[in-house]
Amino acid sequence: MTTSLLLALMLTAEPPALKEVLTKYDAVMAPATFKATATMTAHRDDGTTRGYKMNILKGADDKSRIWFQEPAAVRGQEMLRNGENFWVYMPNLKRALRLASRDNFQGGDFNNADVLRASYAADYQGTVKEDAAKPETWLLELKSTNPDTSYDSIKLWVLKSPLGIPVRGEYFTSSGKMLRSAEFSDVKDFGNGHKRPSHVVMRNEIATQRFSEMHWDAVDTAAPVGDGKFSLSDLGH
Amino acid sequence: MNALLSMAFRNVLRNRRRTLITLAAVAVGITAVGGIRGVLNGLQDSMTRGSIRGTLGAMQVHRTGYLANVMSTPLSLDFANDDALVKKVLAVKGVTAVAPRIQFAGSLTLSATDQDDSPEALFFGATAIDPVLERQVCPDRWKLFTDDTVFDDTHVVLGDALAAAFGAKHDSEAILLAPDRDGSLNGELAQVGGAMRAIMPGEMKIAVVPLSLAQKLLRMEGRVTELAVAIDDTSHLEAIASQVRAAVGPEFEVHTWAELAPERKTIMGIQNGVSNVVAVVFLLLMLLGVANTMLMSVLERTREVGTMMAVGLTRGSVMVLFLLEALVLGAMGAAGGLAGASTITFILAKRGIHFTPPNSSMEIDVYPFMTAAFTVGVMFAAVFGAVLFSLYPAWRASRLRPVEALAGR
Repeated sequence: MTTSLLLALMLTAEPPALKEVLTKYDAVMAPATFKATATMTAHRDDGTTRGYKMNILKGADDKSRIWFQEPAAVRGQEMLRNGENFWVYMPNLKRALRLASRDNFQGGDFNNADVLRASYAADYQGTVKEDAAKPETWLLELKSTNPDTSYDSIKLWVLKSPLGIPVRGEYFTSSGKMLRSAEFSDVKDFGNGHKRPSHVVMRNEIATQRFSEMHWDAVDTAAPVGDGKFSLSDLGH
Repeated sequence: MNALLSMAFRNVLRNRRRTLITLAAVAVGITAVGGIRGVLNGLQDSMTRGSIRGTLGAMQVHRTGYLANVMSTPLSLDFANDDALVKKVLAVKGVTAVAPRIQFAGSLTLSATDQDDSPEALFFGATAIDPVLERQVCPDRWKLFTDDTVFDDTHVVLGDALAAAFGAKHDSEAILLAPDRDGSLNGELAQVGGAMRAIMPGEMKIAVVPLSLAQKLLRMEGRVTELAVAIDDTSHLEAIASQVRAAVGPEFEVHTWAELAPERKTIMGIQNGVSNVVAVVFLLLMLLGVANTMLMSVLERTREVGTMMAVGLTRGSVMVLFLLEALVLGAMGAAGGLAGASTITFILAKRGIHFTPPNSSMEIDVYPFMTAAFTVGVMFAAVFGAVLFSLYPAWRASRLRPVEALAGR
């Protein structure tokens, strides 16, 4: 009785403000600072797969860094994001080279921004509404307000409760073509009150044979994150 | 009939001034049509030569499905660059050389001259070629390189647009970054060897990279995505292509240069269309001139026709006489025009037309020529058209009633 009443209340509730939902989403997908380990498996058109193991560090003020452990081909490579700038450090050249946020993240179907620039509140405007097909979610229709974002518009389905946890995303170019779509699943409590989907499947909607899975093995939002880790000169050390 | 023909000749020569004016109109028109076609032939031949000897090769061999997949990950459709395969292609009669290549995309960073520690990276499309073997298939590629360009196993050559965007200097350090065959990023160092002119205006950012460097960068040692094939006689292109297709088997696909650069074929198609329309319009104007001359001639010679009929010439013979006069006019005009067009094309072909198209930095050499088929076609069109356009005047002449015609009515 109480549950159905609650459910009915939930279903008829007015949509919350977009800002509120996106802030929650950002807190789930890109907490202010954290240390994490993750594995990406890229499934290629010819049926082969390749796994990437990495350590991720996120600092305040839009800074992130990734260390790749596997496969051997990319061991020692590092990626750095500082605001709008992305670099990759190549151990064989001992140099950091610029990357575009729209470039593929290694051999997968995420782009660099999907992994290193996952917060939306600052860059997107839009509306929140019901989606009859997914009554447990709010549908966010987002439009970029920043020319540097890698998608012009996004459709994002997030849970009503707990608010902000994503279920599905669709990512579009300015011409309205869908580039990628993501399914978020396996919500897991990573400790320190941080709950997030631990599994993301990103489908390439252009080369539809391809998709990539990102699995978050550990996320520690309480780990100390020093600012010194996000300078270009620290790459390779 | 012979008598009619010689009469026709004499009649044409009777009013010399009018005949000369008509012939001049026909000849000038046909000279123009022939000249335009000749120059266009030369231009298209130059485009074809540029494609075959400059960038594409006469044909290319890829793994089956490569061309359909160019948008996604063509690197995974690669193959071992082994002697057995190359020998199979070389064994086909008419094939003169084979060059291995890899087409890939990546980004390029030039070491900054000042101490800015993170220079810009630019996305580019690259063709990786073997500096020695490529010369046998696309020797004209080297003509695209600017003076003093060095291209060997350590030097890359940047396309105009890319070189300009960087302000690249000779021997500045270039860092190539690209996803390898499995998608993982890799980087390699190279030197800038020089710049390369664009063949077609508005080319994208491109570069030519030594094959060995690309194989290291893409982690594809001993593997390639493309074999470019040179042949001895391009008029046998299709036949040789199908023999190569048979030689390499179903695992591979073979495309001719025209299939690889359909836009060039389309451009040629449009050029041909426009020149055909111009030719038809010119021809119509010339033939209307002939029709006018013939009609005048019929009206002037009413008494004469009456006399001929009175002495027993049949209506049919009158009609044939006038048609023969038109035929003689058409044939003489066309012969004059074609002689003019041939002279012009011959002179231009001897000198060659050298020009630089707008937005392109490469000079194009055009050597005009006319084909036998075109010459015969124009001759036929002019003669047949003159007869066709004179049917009405000739018919009018044949319908005259002798009594009235003799009276000049």
